[in-house]
Amino acid sequence: MRDTLSLLFYLMRLRVRTRLEFRASLVIAWVAQAFGYAGVFTQLWLILTRFENLGGWTWPQMAMLLGFHTLGYALGACFTLVQLRRMEEIVLGGEFDTLLVRPINPWAYLVFSGFNVEYGGHIVLGAGLILWALPHLGLVWTPGTVFLLAGGLISAALITASTITIISAFALILGRARYLFGLYFDFWELSRYPASIFAPALQLMLLTVVPLGYMAFVPVSVLLGRPVPYLGSFAEAAALAAGPLSVLAAVAFWRFCMNRYQGGGG
Amino acid sequence: MSAFIALVLASFRRETQHRLQTAMRIIGGLVEILARISIWQAVYAGRAAVGGISLDSMMTYALVGGTILSSWEATMIVREVGTTIRTGAIGATLLRPASYPLMLLAEQIGARLFEWVIIGLPVIVVMGAIYGLLPPASLPHGLLFIGYLAVSIAILMLTGILIGLFSFWVFDAHSLEWFMRGLLAVLSGSLVPIWFFPAGFGEVVHFLPFSWITYHPMAVYLGQRDLMASLEYLVGGIGWAGLLALTVAFVWSRACRQVVVQGG
Repeated sequence: MRDTLSLLFYLMRLRVRTRLEFRASLVIAWVAQAFGYAGVFTQLWLILTRFENLGGWTWPQMAMLLGFHTLGYALGACFTLVQLRRMEEIVLGGEFDTLLVRPINPWAYLVFSGFNVEYGGHIVLGAGLILWALPHLGLVWTPGTVFLLAGGLISAALITASTITIISAFALILGRARYLFGLYFDFWELSRYPASIFAPALQLMLLTVVPLGYMAFVPVSVLLGRPVPYLGSFAEAAALAAGPLSVLAAVAFWRFCMNRYQGGGG
Repeated sequence: MSAFIALVLASFRRETQHRLQTAMRIIGGLVEILARISIWQAVYAGRAAVGGISLDSMMTYALVGGTILSSWEATMIVREVGTTIRTGAIGATLLRPASYPLMLLAEQIGARLFEWVIIGLPVIVVMGAIYGLLPPASLPHGLLFIGYLAVSIAILMLTGILIGLFSFWVFDAHSLEWFMRGLLAVLSGSLVPIWFFPAGFGEVVHFLPFSWITYHPMAVYLGQRDLMASLEYLVGGIGWAGLLALTVAFVWSRACRQVVVQGG
C-alpha cells in the first residue's frame, strides 16, 4: 500500500514537472480560464447590480456560491476531468488493455499520472470570490462553521471526481462516453445557481438523481442559514455526506463496468 | 461558390451522424434555456416589467438569444484551428485549392445550421409551448431580424477565426478559446441585454462588434428600436463584419509566412 501511494505520488510529480517545463504557457492558461469564468460571473454580477437579488440571493451570497462551486469543482476535476474525458479514445484505441496488464489499478494510474495543474486559475478565482464574500456575509465563526466550509468543499470535490468517473466508466461498456460529458456540463452549469430559483421537479433532480446541488447550493445555503428545499434540517448532514456517498456509487459503478469490459479495440 | 456550399452541406451531414449525441445536445439545450428562463423569472419576482422591458420579452430574449444567437459553441473554431496547427495538418490544408479561412467559415456555417435546425428549433418549440414566445414586433422587424441573423453569424465566425489564427503565434489555442468565451459572455449580451448594463459601460459595449451577435438582433426582434434605427444598426453590423473579414484576410496572409513544413 505504501509503495503504491509513493508510486502514485511519483507519477503526479512527473506530470507536474512536465507541465512546469512550459511555465509561461501554464500561467497564460490559468489567466485565460479564470478570465473565461470571470466573464460568465460578470453576467450574474450585472443582473444583481440591476435587480439587487436573484431569488433572494444578494451579490455577496452569489459570490460565495460561485466561489464555492468553482473551487470545489477545480479540486475534483484536477484529478479526473482531462484524464477521464478521453476514456472513449483510451478504450477504442486499445490503450486501456495495456493499462490492465500493469501492476497498478488502471483508474489510479490514469488519474494520478494525468494530474492537471491547469486549474490554478479556477482555484485563485474560486478562493478569491470566497475570501471577498466572507466579510460581507456576517457569518458567526465556530468550529462547526469551519468544519462545514472545509468538509463541504471536500464533498464538492468528491462529487465532481465521482461523477466524472461514472461518466467515463460508460466507455468501458458502451465504447462511447464523450457525449455524456456535454450533458454533465449542462447540469453542472445549472448547479452554480441557487437551486431554489428552479421549478420544484428540477430542484428535486439536483438533490437526487443528478446530485450536483450538493456541490455548492446545499452547503452554502446551510452556511448562510438559508432554507434548503426538501432537505430542511438534514441539509448540513446531507452536504457533508453527499461526497463520500457519491464515491461509493462511483466505485461500485466502475467495478460493475470493469467486470463487463471486453476490450474496445486495438 | 459550389465548393463553399458543398463544404457547408458536408459539415451539416457530418453533424447528423451522431444521433445519440444530438439527442443529448437537445436535452442540454433544454436545460440551458430552463436556467436562463428561471433566472429572469426569479429577478422579475412577479413584476410585469422592469425599465420598460416586460418579463415576456426577457423570456423570448432568453429563448431565441440562447439558441439561435448563442455564442458558446462557436468558440470551438479556435480549438479547431489550434488542433490543425498543433497536429501539422495545416501543411496539407495549404495545398488545397481553397482559402483556409473560407473553408473554416463554410464548415462552421454547416455546423451552425445544424445547431439551428436540429437542436435550436426543438428547444424553441418545447420551451416556447411551455413558457410562451413572442413573435417579432412587426413583419418588417422580422425581416430585418433575418438580416441581423446573417450579420450575427458573420461576426461570430469571423471573430472565432481571427482569434484562432493567433494560434500561429501563441501556439496555445486552448487559452485563446477561454479568452474568447469570457469576452463574448459579457460583450455579446448573450444572457444579459445591454439595456440592463450600467450606463457608461453599456454605452461602450453597445458599439463593439460583439453586441451584434446577440443583443442588437434581439433588440430588433423585440421592437426595442424603430425601423430606421434598426436599419442603421444593420448597416453598422455589416460594416463591422466587413472590417473583421479584412482583418482575417490580413492576419491569414501574415500567418502563412509563419508556416514551415519539414518533410511530409
